[in-house]
Amino acid sequence: MTAATWLEVLDQTIGASVVHHRPDLAERLRAKRAQLLDPQIRVLVIGEANQGKSQLVNALVSASVCAVGDDVTTVAPTIVRYAEKPAATQLLHDGTGAEPQRMPLPVDQATNRGGDAVTTEVRIPRKILAAGLVIIDTPAIGNLHQLRAQSTFSALSGADAVLLATDASHELSATELELLRHVRRSCPTILVALTKIDLTTRWRQIADRNREHLSKAGIPAAVVPVSSALRLRAVAKDDEALNVESGFPELIERLRTDVLPVASNPSSRQNFAAMTGTALAELVGQVKKELAARPDDRNSPAVAEYMDAQQKMADLKRRSAKWQNVLNDEMADLIADLEYDLRDRTRRILREVDRAFDEADPAKTWDQFEEWLNENLTEAARTNFDWLIERSWWVADRVAECFPERQDLVPGTVIPSDADLDPGDTERPRLEKFTAGQKVFSGLRGSYGGVLMFGLITSLAGLPLINPISIGAGLALGGKSIGEEGETRLKRRQQLAKSTAQRHVDDFFLRFSKDCKDAARRIQRGLRDHFAELAEQLQQRVADAASAAQRSAQAELSARQRRDQELRQALTQLRELHGQITRIAGALPASSRNPLEISA
Amino acid sequence: MTQTVDEAVWAILHEALRLYQDSPRATSWLRHHIGRFDSPLRIAVAGRPGSGKSTVVNAVVGDEVAPIEVDGPVFTWYQDGPQPRATVYMRQGPPGEPPIVRVGRRMDIDLSGFESGGMTRIVVDWPARVLRDATLIDTPPIADEISEQIAAEADALLYLTPQVHVMDVRYLQSTQDHPVARAAPVNSIMVLSRADEVGGGRIDSLSTAKQISRRYRRDARIRGLCQNVVAVSGLIGQAGRTMPEEEYQSLAALAAAPRAQTEELLLTADRFTRSEHVLPVSTRRELADRLGMVGIRLATTLIRQGADSRTKLASELVQRSGLNELRDSIGRLFVDRREVLKARSALLGLDVVLRMEPRPGAAKLVTDVERVLAGAHEFHELRLLGGLLSGRTRLPEELGLEAQRLIGGYGTDLDARLGFDREPTQAEVQNAIYDALARWREQSENPMLGSAERDAARVVVRSCEAMLI
Repeated sequence: MTAATWLEVLDQTIGASVVHHRPDLAERLRAKRAQLLDPQIRVLVIGEANQGKSQLVNALVSASVCAVGDDVTTVAPTIVRYAEKPAATQLLHDGTGAEPQRMPLPVDQATNRGGDAVTTEVRIPRKILAAGLVIIDTPAIGNLHQLRAQSTFSALSGADAVLLATDASHELSATELELLRHVRRSCPTILVALTKIDLTTRWRQIADRNREHLSKAGIPAAVVPVSSALRLRAVAKDDEALNVESGFPELIERLRTDVLPVASNPSSRQNFAAMTGTALAELVGQVKKELAARPDDRNSPAVAEYMDAQQKMADLKRRSAKWQNVLNDEMADLIADLEYDLRDRTRRILREVDRAFDEADPAKTWDQFEEWLNENLTEAARTNFDWLIERSWWVADRVAECFPERQDLVPGTVIPSDADLDPGDTERPRLEKFTAGQKVFSGLRGSYGGVLMFGLITSLAGLPLINPISIGAGLALGGKSIGEEGETRLKRRQQLAKSTAQRHVDDFFLRFSKDCKDAARRIQRGLRDHFAELAEQLQQRVADAASAAQRSAQAELSARQRRDQELRQALTQLRELHGQITRIAGALPASSRNPLEISA
Repeated sequence: MTQTVDEAVWAILHEALRLYQDSPRATSWLRHHIGRFDSPLRIAVAGRPGSGKSTVVNAVVGDEVAPIEVDGPVFTWYQDGPQPRATVYMRQGPPGEPPIVRVGRRMDIDLSGFESGGMTRIVVDWPARVLRDATLIDTPPIADEISEQIAAEADALLYLTPQVHVMDVRYLQSTQDHPVARAAPVNSIMVLSRADEVGGGRIDSLSTAKQISRRYRRDARIRGLCQNVVAVSGLIGQAGRTMPEEEYQSLAALAAAPRAQTEELLLTADRFTRSEHVLPVSTRRELADRLGMVGIRLATTLIRQGADSRTKLASELVQRSGLNELRDSIGRLFVDRREVLKARSALLGLDVVLRMEPRPGAAKLVTDVERVLAGAHEFHELRLLGGLLSGRTRLPEELGLEAQRLIGGYGTDLDARLGFDREPTQAEVQNAIYDALARWREQSENPMLGSAERDAARVVVRSCEAMLI
């Protein structure tokens, strides 16, 4: 197995993480990659509050590099690494920019927690560090300052080994065991330092109980009892026996045997294999989930839009038949109604005329009558026509209601507002008047018969033909005949006037009703044209929308198919990567301890 | 005051009993709570594993009575009794009485006759002064079902933790996750136990622990959850309370030896118990067990500094252990306010009935419970007292002391509240009340005080008003 292969697999996995939108995984793997290529070995010292983590680090490097206190002390990680000359830097927020600033500071002030340090880095010349060991002191886990603990968890992935500090006064707590279980997932090399053994006589029992707890929890970690206080005292007094008693030589030996080899590849790659395997398994899970969670076709917005458009289309068709029917029916009704109305009105006028000419003498009143008649006819025509206009607008409204969105914009030109209402001049009837000559002639004709008749009768009585009696009778009869004649002529004149008026009204009716009908038809045609155009526009619009929706639905479908295809390909690729990882892990001696599981 | 909260709750309980007389379950539950009303206050001592519950129980009782080593979660009750006596309640079968004897200051109990997994509760009668006021309940380590049982059986809670951990805060929050509990968060004291272990073995660890506890009292995440935070070293406190003369002599011998030699010996527990020394190994081992390394270091230093008798050393140790402060807090916040805490427990119990068996007639009871909760001045008084004791609420020095006195921090009867140490006349009492009332009314509108302090002043005003009636 060459180094290139595992590096390739790792790089591909990082690529896959980026592609599948898992920057967190990519970040973790990148950190791992940097770490694998880095000869340094990072040992993370973790633990709950006041378990002596910082003191443990101080004792390990036998120098005061981490602040130690009774309350919550460590608020930012301290990184201790090797250097020929002691040096310290602090990464801190200076309050001006968002980016923390790197500030060099004297080594003896490294424990000074002024400002808002993000990390403190201390370099000191110590044999134990020379092999590339980097010791990182972390803030306590599980205390009330959760934010600080977050950074510890994020640092875990970069650790080659984890050193848990736990107080000898109590057994490992449930939270500590849970923490170790969590740690083991990303970093299998774990040491447990049982600190402060100088303070209790019971530390041996506690250590045994802790070993039991660890084996029960399945965490392969050695428990090393240490006393930092003793170690620091031993260093100060240069007392080798005390140093041995402090337990630190054993801890350092453990670091040397368990942790240092991590850097010389195989077992570290096992760690890497475990981590990459986990990352891949996560990716596979994600891709599978994505595949499984394909949205139902009907739920796609494009498809929904398409269905909606089709629905609208059908709706429109139904409506278009309806609006035409409405228009035709309403207009037919209107025309019939109009005709009836006009007829009714003219009839009433005629009845009035009849009544008037039963009495009046047209010869005397004709002019007056004519004026009256025209006025009435004009009035009737106006009312009739106004009604037409009104009804037409109403019809237009009714038709407009048939459209999905109300279309109130019937153009004004469709329905005329004015019409020719002039009934025209009446043809003046020839009204014969009873002239004086005619009267004389009629009188004579009547008196002739009377004179003759009574003259003959009286001649029998010996009277001459023309005598007072016959003359009297002749006068009487003549008068009567004049009267009768006058009566007859009046009747004829009245008749004539009536018929003239009737004809006039008929003419008017004929003409005006024709006009009205024409107007109504024109309106009908205008409305039909208008609404037909409107319907066409609507239809066009809906059809456009439908075809656009169809196009986008198709595009979506093909995109989805493409994505499916991609996902399947990605899945295959991921599985292949996983296979390679498994092979790499399989080539390692200790692989059986860390079986990779993936369900394809 | 026309009706105190315990009278009001007592009345509601009896009304509930009348209403639910046809339901045997509710009746027995209510009778249980009415019975509890007259029994001594129950204080549960709870905490995560290894938080020092038994040590604190021993330190408070003054005798070595805890822990009783049994398997499974068993609640151990310590109550007052003329003779040591124990009753073991089993999950199945009748309760039994195991043999129990007092050996010096230790309790010796023989549970061999009982199936170890089947015990649910051990009730120990033990003659002790402190148990006359309150029953202590030593609880198994915190778990879900345990905390429910604690909530159901105890009136007050001593919550122990060596370090304030997220889990502790979560637990305390869960105890207040109930409308009644939320309305009156007056029943818990947080104890930073194992205070001797704070400073990595230095002898000033106890005062450091006190500083830490002071910080937590004002911590926004803690202060709403408990009445006070007290740092206690149960180990040192108990050792101080129960120190026999020979123990003092051994410590004195250690202190008398050359300083360098003693220091060398006390460097580690191993050296102390295993190396050659004039004191027998068994004595040294017992010393280490009873005092801890910090305790021994502290005791020898104290002897060197002049604690030249057993009593002096013992009182010094007890004083430094924080035990006095804890007992004071228990006394003033729990025992003196027994009725209030009992009323609170009864309301919690009643609430269970009202929720489990709702019925039309219960609507009035629900409103009554709400009225008591909203109007009970005693809860506000107690909350303020906790605030003043812990420093959560800060009034100027003299005002603070007067406020404590007026809200009943030194005794809840009228004379104690008004600070009379002799029999006052009626007129004197009246004058004192009116005087206090006027001054505190002024304080309640004093613009120099913060809003929390003005609120506190308003509570005092109400206390004064209540005294008038």
